[in-house]
Amino acid sequence: MTITMGDPVLEELRQVLGHDHVLTGRADRLNRTRVPAPFPVHRWAERMPDLVVMPGSTEEVAEVLRLAHAYRIPVVPRDGGTGLTDGAVPLRGGIVVDVKRINQIKEIDLENRTCTVGTGINALKLNEVLSRHDLFYPDDPASYPCSLVGGRIGTSGWSLIGSRYGHSRDLVLSFDHVLPTGQVIHVGDGIGRKITKSSSGYQLKHLFMGHQGTLGIATEATLKLFPKPEAEFSPFWAFEDYDSAYAVVGQLARAGVATFAGAVLFDEWKVAYLRRDDEAYIPQPSSVKALVCAAMYGYEDEVRAGGRRLMRIARSMGARYLGDEISQGDWAARHDRYATPLHGRTRSGQVVPMSWHCEDASINYTGLPAVRLAWHEIADRLRRESDVFDDWGMFAYTNGSTGADYLTEIDIGIWEQRLDDAAWAAWVAAKRDLAAVTLSHGGSISACHGSCREGEVDLVPEELGGGFDVMLAIKRAVDPHNIMNPGKYLLDRAYAEPSGEEEP
Amino acid sequence: MPDPEKRFAEEWRNAAYNCFSSGHKFCREVCPVMQVTRNESWSPTAFHANVVAMEQGSLEVAEVAADYVNCTGCGACELRCPNSLFTGDFYRFRTRTVDLVKAVRALAVREGVHQPGWQRWNLLTDEQTHEPVASEVSQERVRDWAQGLDLPVGGETILFVDCEAAFHRTTAPRAVARMLNLAGYKFGLMNEQWCCGGPAAEMGYEEQALRFAWHNLEDWRASGVRRVLVLDPHDYITFTEDYPKYFGESFDIEVVLVIELLAALLREGRLVPHVPVERTVTYHDPCRLNKRKGIWQEPREILRAIPGLTFHDVDRVSQWSYCSGAGGGLAVEKPELTARISEMRMGKAAELGVDTLVTACPWAERPLTEAGHARAIGVVDLHELLAESLGVA
Repeated sequence: MTITMGDPVLEELRQVLGHDHVLTGRADRLNRTRVPAPFPVHRWAERMPDLVVMPGSTEEVAEVLRLAHAYRIPVVPRDGGTGLTDGAVPLRGGIVVDVKRINQIKEIDLENRTCTVGTGINALKLNEVLSRHDLFYPDDPASYPCSLVGGRIGTSGWSLIGSRYGHSRDLVLSFDHVLPTGQVIHVGDGIGRKITKSSSGYQLKHLFMGHQGTLGIATEATLKLFPKPEAEFSPFWAFEDYDSAYAVVGQLARAGVATFAGAVLFDEWKVAYLRRDDEAYIPQPSSVKALVCAAMYGYEDEVRAGGRRLMRIARSMGARYLGDEISQGDWAARHDRYATPLHGRTRSGQVVPMSWHCEDASINYTGLPAVRLAWHEIADRLRRESDVFDDWGMFAYTNGSTGADYLTEIDIGIWEQRLDDAAWAAWVAAKRDLAAVTLSHGGSISACHGSCREGEVDLVPEELGGGFDVMLAIKRAVDPHNIMNPGKYLLDRAYAEPSGEEEP
Repeated sequence: MPDPEKRFAEEWRNAAYNCFSSGHKFCREVCPVMQVTRNESWSPTAFHANVVAMEQGSLEVAEVAADYVNCTGCGACELRCPNSLFTGDFYRFRTRTVDLVKAVRALAVREGVHQPGWQRWNLLTDEQTHEPVASEVSQERVRDWAQGLDLPVGGETILFVDCEAAFHRTTAPRAVARMLNLAGYKFGLMNEQWCCGGPAAEMGYEEQALRFAWHNLEDWRASGVRRVLVLDPHDYITFTEDYPKYFGESFDIEVVLVIELLAALLREGRLVPHVPVERTVTYHDPCRLNKRKGIWQEPREILRAIPGLTFHDVDRVSQWSYCSGAGGGLAVEKPELTARISEMRMGKAAELGVDTLVTACPWAERPLTEAGHARAIGVVDLHELLAESLGVA
């Protein structure tokens, strides 16, 4: 589908949104074509949308979708554009619906402890306002300073402190959602806007979160708020081997401390990488091979008591506490450090500029050691295939308060400037293999990013089984003409005839 | 790709790629333009990514020149950039969005791509040797603000007062002159003062900027000036960043920010504020002082020395995301956008329940004053406030 100047739909969009909010310039489109996931820079122009719209309200979004539905034009929703799968990347041109202008705070309900916001708002900016009421919204991804609420809904995001406060799916109570036909519905628990638990009807809220823009666009959300924590404690411990660190992180997560907000395990590849190439690494003795950190939030008296318990557990298992300075500093810097364009190394040890990418999965605690070895083997193979890749090690983060499963990530440095078709193919194959390892250990292909990118997406039908057929049926029912983010999640299979144009 | 574009892309390739490959946008929510327009095409990330696209041949400067108008040069994005924060020390690298924006604007002008407002503004500036900030701007009247103050012309130390302060906000330089006289600090006025050239440089008119800088430097040299006092943060940037770039090591003029000088005079007891000023105020950190020069302590020192004031401070880091919208030529080309940014800033002041917003930048004062009308919040220049408390207003 290609929209050209003079196309009637362009004029209709301008009438609905005003001239300033319908963008057709090359730079306007190029800058809404990519996300931070690794990207074949040499193929940037292939992902361009035909135009960009910036609606200012639910009604305007609905009108855009009604037009797109009528004219069968692909629509890709875009909020922060910080996702690590490519939900916001157009594959078939069409219209990018950029919802950043819908960022108003509509209500702060102090009695029911909720707020209602436009989905173009950023959580940090929201928290600046909420802090005046000693409240906060604890959805805390690594991209906290720049990701937006709508993207968190579209990807069903994961929060670093989710073991204490829950993840986006728990924190978003309800939202206005524009269906691909332009119809506006409200989804939540039951019909309520501020209801946290309902048994009425199908639980549609989960369906309309994490669909990567394939089922419509969320425009206004009601969020759950908490008292702004009075105290934070984030101890870091060092270990001489992975197994000891693994044992400790398990004990900490299973301890049942109420203020426990999450724990992170750094494997030996991660520590080696930090030691070798992280300019902000504070030198540790070479005997340090693995690290664990935990984070606690709450009132000072409860954090102190919980912290003492966790310190006791770690000490009794031989962990060495790294001290207050490293503990506080490293945790405080968690957002700023996650995506700096670091350098990596070729196999010969040459330092080259590389950007960071992380592949994630949800793995049960008992699967972590084996998945780690299998994943590093894949990274090693990738490295042998092309010098544009480097293995930056793995993290495992608790998904919840009981320690059942972990967001498991392997960080790969990619020399994107040198990515060519061969290296891209190797990367896609490696992603498929990482996902296969995950499934063979009973895990889920993604804990937080989504699994709709090339490579891993091939295994989604296997992961979901009969559930994938239900996904296809739902997609067909909700989006009869496949206009919403076509080409993602193998959902073209829902339609007898391939819709839109073939990918180039 | 025409040659200048190629040379430009080569110069900026790595910086642009450092931003592009990160792909994260911590800058976005502190950028004043982005905050009010929410248009990602006008974000620091886009300003870098465009350079990558230009190098690939997918974009030409003529297609994006108008996008680069949308920057006030406040520098918030550079402070918030993780590249500067964490990898910067290692690589001796710093994100320089402000310089990049200036470079794209200059490239556009070199290739004959003009923004109508900026072109007119710089043409008039060239004719009048001062920016057309008021109707009566001319070389003959550049010292009119000092009428009756009996200030000498020339000397080792001169007070540089140009454009907005000289022709529009004249009460600010008058207050400065009176305070320096009160403290017995010797200074004179410049012999033949032209605009500092900074705004021309910001809008891409490099040749003109350099010509103006040469004139001023030669005038200083001819009259034995060793030290230049500046009260305008924009001049301060021009003299401490642009002039050394133009003239290299031969630039041996000491540049002194009046606010730092006044703070020193207070500390030494040479100025003693004694007239109570009964106002409830907050302070607007001028971007060029706080974000670009790290000067935020002295203004607060001055405010705390004034008796009678109730001062609701907002820390300097929170103010990274504040801006008046007046900088970088934005007010010339897109005054409506400047107004929206000023309104946002004034909204933050209103939340504090103050009656006065104090600032220290003549350029910020005009749009902030406009925005203050709707909220019944007055805008007062820090220099003038101190002068009032010293009894020399």
